[in-house]
Amino acid sequence: MTVRRFRLSERCFASLLILPVFLAISLVVLFPLAYSLWMSFADVNLLRATGPALELLGLRIPLFRYVGLQNYLRLLSDPLYWDSFGRTAYFVGAFVLETTVVGLGMALVLHERFVGRPVMRSLLLIPWSLSRVVVGLLWVGLLDVEFGALNGFLYKAGLIDRYISFLKSGFSALNVLVSVYMWNQAPFATLLLLAGMQSIPIELYMAAEADGAGYWQRLRYVTLPALRGILFLVLVVSTVNGFLMLDLIYVLTMGGPGNETTTISWLGFQTAFQFFKFGPGTAILYTLTVFCLLLTVLYQKVMFRKLEAEEA
Amino acid sequence: MKPTTRRSFLRTTGLLGASAVLADGFFGETRADKPINFAGWVFKPDTVKDYVDVYNQKFGGQVKYEAIPWAQYHPTMETRAFGGEVFDVMYCAHNFRERWYANGLIRSLDDLPGIDEMKKKMNPQNLESLKAKDGKLAGLPYFTSLFVLVYNEPMLQQAGIKAPAKSWDELVEHSLKLKKDKVSDYPFLPNWNVSPSGTMPQFMTDAFSEGANVFDAKNRVIVDQEPGVARAMERWQKVWKAELVNPEVLTKTSSTDTHRLFWTGRYAYHTNHSYYLKTIAGEPENSKLAPKKAKMTMYPGTGQTYMWTDSYTINAKTKTLDDAWKLARFLGGNLAGDWYVQRQWCLISGLDNPYPEMYEHPEIIASYDRWVDLKLLRKQYEKGRVIAAYKEPWYSEYDVKAVPIVHNMIRGGTTVPQGLKELVKLQKSLE
Repeated sequence: MTVRRFRLSERCFASLLILPVFLAISLVVLFPLAYSLWMSFADVNLLRATGPALELLGLRIPLFRYVGLQNYLRLLSDPLYWDSFGRTAYFVGAFVLETTVVGLGMALVLHERFVGRPVMRSLLLIPWSLSRVVVGLLWVGLLDVEFGALNGFLYKAGLIDRYISFLKSGFSALNVLVSVYMWNQAPFATLLLLAGMQSIPIELYMAAEADGAGYWQRLRYVTLPALRGILFLVLVVSTVNGFLMLDLIYVLTMGGPGNETTTISWLGFQTAFQFFKFGPGTAILYTLTVFCLLLTVLYQKVMFRKLEAEEA
Repeated sequence: MKPTTRRSFLRTTGLLGASAVLADGFFGETRADKPINFAGWVFKPDTVKDYVDVYNQKFGGQVKYEAIPWAQYHPTMETRAFGGEVFDVMYCAHNFRERWYANGLIRSLDDLPGIDEMKKKMNPQNLESLKAKDGKLAGLPYFTSLFVLVYNEPMLQQAGIKAPAKSWDELVEHSLKLKKDKVSDYPFLPNWNVSPSGTMPQFMTDAFSEGANVFDAKNRVIVDQEPGVARAMERWQKVWKAELVNPEVLTKTSSTDTHRLFWTGRYAYHTNHSYYLKTIAGEPENSKLAPKKAKMTMYPGTGQTYMWTDSYTINAKTKTLDDAWKLARFLGGNLAGDWYVQRQWCLISGLDNPYPEMYEHPEIIASYDRWVDLKLLRKQYEKGRVIAAYKEPWYSEYDVKAVPIVHNMIRGGTTVPQGLKELVKLQKSLE
């Protein structure tokens, strides 16, 4: 008797192995993404979920009324959206710049040998590990015009004769948000850049030194080019984080005074969760996704153009 | 051992059954209810848990309580209702009640036993505000509050001001003097915070105190036709320009944060929700103006201020209506004849309720006496004014989007007539 063996090709076997993970990811990532994208083209009222629906694992998922591009067209003609866009661009630009510069600076310091370096490296992670609501409350405690520790310190040190109101105008409040968020996020950039620096071969530095390069020349011609990939990652991550930042606005300013700290993410949150307009709310937030994608492509082009040219 | 016969078995079970029936008749109140879910936003959740424990023990309830953070409370409840979850009894803020009612999330209480008696006991204004647009009662009161004017007595005395301001002109005059004499950097602290409990309720309050209307009978914004609103806004511009108000109040994110500024004793006048006076004048561990150094005075002008009523509501899909109604009466009424929950809120937090008879209770009088002149507070409540506009579907969006317009007016970014026209235009655009 001959036994016929059923043999799977390597490709099929691999596909079978990743199938459970693919299904899980589809369920928790792809489906919500697709559904929220659909919502941005629909008239959504969670409390009136009648009409056509999808049945998924026993759950009824309403499809709501399709309204085409209406949600997008309305927001693009809303001056508040474009005002928020301008503030978002400022916020993201300032945040990415501060995070990258401060992150790089801290990484350069922590890359050097000095007493207490392991402790400093551990302490560095504390701001990043805190929840952003906690970060917001902490900074409220520091910056408050009546109870703030910073005002108390400056006053007692004789450096000010009256307490400073850090959030009194929209522009200063926006800059406070940038700085507080940078304080929270720069340690992560430092961590990435530090890891990148440690992987640069020491021989490159030795060769540069032998050629007479000083500290700044080594930084310019060895460290930064070698960190190009990591810098790209830092820029992309901080850009995305900057666009999506919401929690600190919630805790520190709620978009005020006026609308002067209202960014696109805050506007989207307000529209969806305060006005219960989930269609326009998701449309606003999807425009953020588009901006993030465009900037990522731009970073990629700018940062790797020279490298590609050299390789060619 | 004596064997169990059919006769003895029937006798024993018959006796047990009879005693069970009798026991239920005599001690009906301790009969276990069906399990019900109760949800509220986070405000003293331990206190609420204590109420629920009292209810479960005293009334045989099986109530499961869940506290949800305030900021996300209403969206969370809607999302969970969307997912098929049923909370039998729920807190509901006044400006969400109509939305929940009109969309079938909560039910009318008009057909439930004993409701007419409860309605008779309520202040008519609050009763009106608890009704849906169709005139049916949509909730029982959780608490009611209104805006009051508070002053810092030691500061006024220090400046030689013998009595608190009785008019807006006097208040501005006092503030200018306090600033000029360097007694206070920012003597006036209006509740201009950016949250829905701040700028716009304060806007309505000051409009009402000028004898003006903000909405017409059809709930349309008519502020551009009301000279009283313009007067109030011109005064706001004046106090801002003269730097009588701490500019940071515009970025405070809650009325709670705003009232904490007054704890410092560095301000002379403050307008905010009535219950905040309890911490200002009644908590020496927090406030420099306790005990009773901060006092309430009647609101200037007509004395009318904005009043609202938040509520307990019953889910339209509850399968345990009798038990849900019993819990709702315990929370928002007088189930056992002792006003238990309503009384506790008064005693613990100074949260008022719309049942005037409760304020004759000696325990309440003694408690309020520690932080406020109760008679004056009740007099202010007689001047409380409710609106019906929050029952309109556009209200919550208007309420949020109006804040930047009013903030711009305050800071002189737009003129008063222009700003008031923008408010009208905003409301029309949302209809």
